[in-house]
Amino acid sequence: MPEVVVPIGPYHPALKEPVNFKVIADGEIIVRLELDLAYNHRGIEKAAEARDFVRVVPLLERVCGICSHSHTTAFCKGIEEAMGVTVPPRGQLIRVIVAELERMHSHLLWLGVAGHEIGFNTLFMWTWRDREVVQDMLEELTGNRVNYGMNAVGGVRRDIEPPLVARCLKRLSPLEERIRKYADMVRHEPTTLARFQGVGRLTKEQALAFGTVGPTARASSVDYDIRRDDPYIGYADIPFDVVTDGQGDVFGRTLVRIGELLQSVRIVRYALENLPPGPVRVNTPRGAPKAEVLSRYEAPRGELAHFIRTNNTDKVERLDIRTPTLANWTSVAVSLVGSNLADIPVVVAAIDPCLSCTSRITIVDPGRRQTSVMSWDELRAHGIDFYRRKEGV
Amino acid sequence: MTNASPLAAEDVMKAMEGLGSVDRARTNRLRVIVSPERVREAILRAQGSLGCDHVIQIGIVDNGRVFELHYHLTGPHRTVVTIKTELPRDDARIASSHDLLPPAGIYERQIHDLFGIVFEGHPNLQRLILTEDWPEDEYPLRKDWTMRPDRRYGGSTPEGT
Amino acid sequence: MDPGWLVLYVFVFPGLLFLLAYALFMEYVDRKLGARIQNRVGPPFFQPFADLVKLLAKEDITPEDVDPPAMRAIPILAFAAVATAFLYVPVIGSSPLAFPGDLIVVLYLLTLPSILLFLIGWISRSVFSTLGGVRVATQLFIYEVPFFLALLGPALAAGTWTISGIVEWQRANFWVVVFQPIGFIVALIGLQAKLERTPFDIPEAETELVAGPWTELTGRKLALMRLAVDMALVTGAALIAALFLGGPSIPWVLEPGWLATLAGFGSFLVKTLAILFVLAVVRMAMGRVRIDQLNDFGWKYLASAAIVQVLIVLFLNGALIA
Repeated sequence: MPEVVVPIGPYHPALKEPVNFKVIADGEIIVRLELDLAYNHRGIEKAAEARDFVRVVPLLERVCGICSHSHTTAFCKGIEEAMGVTVPPRGQLIRVIVAELERMHSHLLWLGVAGHEIGFNTLFMWTWRDREVVQDMLEELTGNRVNYGMNAVGGVRRDIEPPLVARCLKRLSPLEERIRKYADMVRHEPTTLARFQGVGRLTKEQALAFGTVGPTARASSVDYDIRRDDPYIGYADIPFDVVTDGQGDVFGRTLVRIGELLQSVRIVRYALENLPPGPVRVNTPRGAPKAEVLSRYEAPRGELAHFIRTNNTDKVERLDIRTPTLANWTSVAVSLVGSNLADIPVVVAAIDPCLSCTSRITIVDPGRRQTSVMSWDELRAHGIDFYRRKEGV
Repeated sequence: MTNASPLAAEDVMKAMEGLGSVDRARTNRLRVIVSPERVREAILRAQGSLGCDHVIQIGIVDNGRVFELHYHLTGPHRTVVTIKTELPRDDARIASSHDLLPPAGIYERQIHDLFGIVFEGHPNLQRLILTEDWPEDEYPLRKDWTMRPDRRYGGSTPEGT
Repeated sequence: MDPGWLVLYVFVFPGLLFLLAYALFMEYVDRKLGARIQNRVGPPFFQPFADLVKLLAKEDITPEDVDPPAMRAIPILAFAAVATAFLYVPVIGSSPLAFPGDLIVVLYLLTLPSILLFLIGWISRSVFSTLGGVRVATQLFIYEVPFFLALLGPALAAGTWTISGIVEWQRANFWVVVFQPIGFIVALIGLQAKLERTPFDIPEAETELVAGPWTELTGRKLALMRLAVDMALVTGAALIAALFLGGPSIPWVLEPGWLATLAGFGSFLVKTLAILFVLAVVRMAMGRVRIDQLNDFGWKYLASAAIVQVLIVLFLNGALIA
């Protein structure tokens, strides 16, 4: 069979987001991959320069529908650092609660999508049902299911009343039980194992070289977690473990995410039980002094970086956002070459791509210099060579 | 914790000796300011003697006078080492670091698309996120950029027609 | 048989009309069961029928550069093949159309929809369809051999190539499944693969190929093709029920005759629904395997198991004769 170009996206059932892969396949084997993510550029970074801090926060909430709290927290804590403001402990812990619930709903979503990508729709339905519990909790805590509107510069906008704390705590235990069940299911269901194990494998060296972040990196034994390495909003005082796995394939990424789900339950429970009294927000000055801050945040998908420059005004001079999906793309484009057509959806999904965040500003493209440094198999080398010729990278 | 203790400012000073001044924003943020032509050397030294193995971001700021590039690197010491350099507005070009830092290739393309900075030696500085019909010589994230009424941006004019 | 009765048998009961109704009912049971397993509400009773009517009324699009008569003919052929195959499968008592060797004809007719699906994929001129079509053909070569071998077992044991004859033999002796459990399981797996249901829905893998060969089918063509697959589900289940579970027969004698026939029909319904239940649970409890993994599984284990089963039957036959 001659080479066939299979267009995947921008409208395709595998990826409900605007991205276009041109997959060149020889029969069932992927020869190369061309990516185009530029369907969703919204100029948010430019828009942020024209608004004051108060109005930037809702704007950033809309960078991404799933990690909306991540972007606002990264921004708020950056601005607070520039202003020299400290958020009261209660406000910090409420941010942590929302952040970890967000991580849980994002990972549950991912688990379902991964199941869907391999045609395991029952897993998809089940995890999404349990995700509803998380979303209900978020709705009760913040008033919204997505785009929580919880963050403000200087703290959070809503306090949590004791009855609500009790209600949330009550919901956590069944949820934890369900998550353990999924962990069991994924480890033992034969088709899941067949489709996840050994697929999209990255060694530790590759994971480091391609700059992967988050669960993708941690599944390859790269022990980076911003929550522990560069603690923010109270993570320094919260007991939790960084989950890593040595397998480096989609299965490893699944195990890492499930492990993180359990850790998130633990963090949320700890934070709810140890909420200190006091205010949730402090008043902040309108403007920020001249400063530049690199605000790092462990979003569900990995390290999120906001580079913020302030300049004695109430607007940012520059807000440069580097999303985790962007950092992970390089590894996807490289690791897919030579694998099976059927593996595209699950490998792409394994980094949990969030294209809305990413094409806010950017795109892609894969492995440079790697041919000389690493010994890939023939096909992979061929693919990279191709990129060199075709894309010139 | 798996790793070494945070970097001290002295370590960075020693590693970056002769390249530029080092300052510290807070505990784990160290910054070295170098001239554009020595950025690659600074990255090599950071990777070598400082053990940096992860590029967080290449931050770019247009401060109205010059373009600032911030290469944020980190490593097992979990300290962010920022290599900062300034490029003149009228001739913004710098050597590409895509061969030293693989992910930087993406970030450089993005910066080129939005700011028009030329990364010399980058094999493929093509349009990346802006639409194909975006005017060639316009870079929307520059401070002095304004839409021109006679041009079309992403299929429409500034008036929306 | 009286020609009038024959027409009634072919077109009304248990022929075409009953087949249509039962196929839609089976689809309903399949979907409802799946939905309940997935913790969803599931469709109302008439949903498959409503879907059919809706699709029949939808705009019929033929892709550019595709030969319209061929595109139109294929779903009709698939429909006709399955409908014909069903006539030879006993539903109430023996089929009046039975003749020596009708088992082979039924197997052949049941293969036709897959080949036609491949053809549709091939002529649709869309990458998704083409790749899906190629996968259909690849998959056909994987499951067909074990499936045929497994269905050969009952025929060898009964010493007849007539499906009704095998049913008769089972009434006289015992159900084939008792001493051919491996063949039964292989046949179920083969049927699942033939009907392209998870974990063997590789040709139409939604997340990879949109809908595979189905991608370019619209309106009436889609309706007919879907109906053909639903009917193939009924026919396949009925065939396995007939060959392994004794078909529309009951182990004890009932008087009067019409009551026995009725009970036989009841046992047909129960057996086919039980087979559907197994297939539906498997569909819901698994993900989709890759074509290369199916290849390994099909030839290494499925085909070997089927051959072992046939050998056992041959050995037993020899032992009984001796």
